[in-house]
Amino acid sequence: MPRLLTVQDLVVEVPGRNIKILNGVSFSLDAGQTLGLVGESGCGKSMTCYAIGNMLPRGLGQAGGSISFGSGESGSERPTIAMIFQDPTSSLNPVHTIGYYLETALYRHQRLRGNDARLEAMRLLERVGIDNAKSRLGAYPHQFSGGMNQRVMIAHALAAKPQLLIADEPTTALDVTMQAQILYLLEELKAETGMALMIVSHDLGVIARLADKAAVMYCGKIVETAPVEQIIQNPSHPYARALINCMPSIDPADHQPPVPIPGSVPLLDDLPQGCYYNPRCPRAAGECFKRFPPLAPVAQAHNVACYHPVAA
Amino acid sequence: MSAPLLETRNLTKAFGQKTGWLAKPKILCASSSIDLQLNARERLGIVGESGSGKSTLGRLILGLTPPTEGEIFFEGVNHKARSLQGWKQFRVRTSLVQQNPLSALNPQMTIGEQISEGLLVHHFASRAASYERAAAMLDQVGLSSAMMSRYPHQMSGGQRQRVVIARALILDPKLVVFDEAVSALDVSVQAQVVALLRDLWQQRDLAYVFITHDLRVVRHVVDRIAVMYLGRVVETGDIKSVYEWPRHPYTRALLASVPSMDPTIRNIQPPINGELDPGKIAGGCPFRPRCPFAIERCGTEAPLLRDVAGQRVACHRAEEFPRSVQMGKEVA
Repeated sequence: MPRLLTVQDLVVEVPGRNIKILNGVSFSLDAGQTLGLVGESGCGKSMTCYAIGNMLPRGLGQAGGSISFGSGESGSERPTIAMIFQDPTSSLNPVHTIGYYLETALYRHQRLRGNDARLEAMRLLERVGIDNAKSRLGAYPHQFSGGMNQRVMIAHALAAKPQLLIADEPTTALDVTMQAQILYLLEELKAETGMALMIVSHDLGVIARLADKAAVMYCGKIVETAPVEQIIQNPSHPYARALINCMPSIDPADHQPPVPIPGSVPLLDDLPQGCYYNPRCPRAAGECFKRFPPLAPVAQAHNVACYHPVAA
Repeated sequence: MSAPLLETRNLTKAFGQKTGWLAKPKILCASSSIDLQLNARERLGIVGESGSGKSTLGRLILGLTPPTEGEIFFEGVNHKARSLQGWKQFRVRTSLVQQNPLSALNPQMTIGEQISEGLLVHHFASRAASYERAAAMLDQVGLSSAMMSRYPHQMSGGQRQRVVIARALILDPKLVVFDEAVSALDVSVQAQVVALLRDLWQQRDLAYVFITHDLRVVRHVVDRIAVMYLGRVVETGDIKSVYEWPRHPYTRALLASVPSMDPTIRNIQPPINGELDPGKIAGGCPFRPRCPFAIERCGTEAPLLRDVAGQRVACHRAEEFPRSVQMGKEVA
C-alpha cells in the first residue's frame, strides 16, 4: 500500500511559554490503513489530529517537525482529509438544515448543485443509515438525536470523498447500542471507499475493534506503537499495560476488578525529569529519572519508549 | 427479614410533551409501574440507554421530583407522609453524586467549606469540629487534607469527583444514588473511583443505587442490576447471573454491543438497530419495534416481569435464549 501520511518529530507548543503539547510525535499511515490513538485526556491525541488537519486552535503553532503526505517527495498532493468529532450536536450549525449542510459540502468538494446536490445528499443520508432521507433534508440538528447527528457528520465527511477520515472520539458521547451501529458503519464505509482512518479514543475496545495499528500516547509523546493485536495482547510499555488492566472486564468468567493506575497525569508545565511516566511506574529505576527513553524497536513494527519494557 | 431500606410500589412518572399549540400534550412515561426493593448495604445498578428513565428513577427515589402514581418507602416511611422534619431527616440519610463534578461544586467555596457545609446546615458539629471531620473524610476518599483550602478549579477531574463523594458521605448516609458518577472520567481515574467505591462500601453501612449506561463499570460496583427500557424494568437479577445468562433480548443486545477487547472480532452487525423511541409504544411489548425475536404475541400482550431461573424478566420468550451472548450473533 502506498504511504499516505508521514508525521516526523511533530512539536506543537504554546508560544511564549515552554509548554509542549506535542513533543516529538512520529508515525506513518498507509492508504486504507486504520491507526488508533489511545491515551488519557490531555495526552495530545486530539491535538495530533488537529495538527494533521491543519486546524490547530488559534494561538498554538507547529514549532517543529514535519507532516508530509504521499510519498513525501515535493509535489506530492495533499490528500483529502475529513474529520468527525465527539459531540456531533455542537459541531453542527443549529440555524442550517441538514440538507443545506450537506449540499454546501457537495458543492465545495464535488461542484454539485441544485437537483444533483440534493439527490447526492439523499443518497449519502441513506448510506449512513438515516431513513426517509428526503424529508430529513429539511430537518434541523436539534430535531435529531446524538446518534443521528453523528451519522449526518459522517455523511458530510463522505461528501468530500476523503482519502483519510479522522474520527476524534466518534462514539464517546453515544449509547453502547448506537456505538455498535456507528462502529459497524465506519467498518463498512472503509471497506467500500478504501479510505484510511485515524481513530482517537480512550476506549481500548473501540481501538481493538477498528484499528490495524495503534499508538499509545502519554503527555504529548508516543510511548508505544505496534500492530493492534500486539498492543492489546502483549503490550510492552508499563503504561500501555496499565491502561489495559484498568479497563473493566465484561467477561462473566473474569471477576478481576479494574486495576487503577496510581497517581495522575502530570501537568504539561510541570513534567517530571526523565520519563514522564516515572512517578506512576512500578518499573522506574536509574536512567528513567534522567532522560526520556527513545522510541526503540522490540519486535517487528513494534516500538516502545521505555528503558525497562515488560517482556513478552 | 427486616423491612427493606428502600421500596417502590407501582412507581410511575409521566411527562406531558407539547406537540403543538393548543394540542393535547402527549404523555410520555419516564417510569411506569416500577417495583423495586433495596436492602441495607445492598448495591443496585440501573442500566439502559439514554431516555430509558434511569435518571428519573433516581430523582424519584430521592424525592427530587414527585411521582405521578405509586409510592416510595424509605426505612418504612412513605415519601407522601413525610413532614418537613421528616424530609430533613431523609436528606441526612441519603445523598446524590452526579456526573459532572465541576458543575456540582461551588466555584467560590473551598473544598473544606463544601465538604463540611452539610454538618453545619444540620447543626451536627461546630465549625471547628466539622472542619476536622471534613479533613478526615477527605483522607478516606484518598485526598490529602492539604486540599481543604483549595478551590475546585485547582483540582483534576478525578480529584473533584472524590470531593463530591466525600461531601456525599460526610453525614454518614445509608443510601447514595450515583447518577453516571464515573462516566465522564478517564479509564485510569474511573478505575480509581471504582476501587474507592468498593472500599467505602466495605468500611461503611451503605447502600448504593448506581445509575449508568456503562455496562463494563457497573459489573464491578453492584450486587444486583435492573435493566430499564422506556421507563420499564425489563430484567432484574443478581449481577453475576444476569451477565452469565441474560434472559431479555434487550439485555443481551446491550451486552453484545460493548466493544470487546479481542482485535479479531470485527465487521460484525450491531445487535440491534435504531434507538429508543418513546413515540413508538403502541401496546404490547415496548421493545418490540427493535426486537429481532418479536412474535405476534409481543404486539398484543405486554409482557410482565416474571421469575425465570432466579431472575425477573419481562419477555414472553425469555426461556428460549442460550446461555452466553455472542458478539454479532444476537440477530435472529
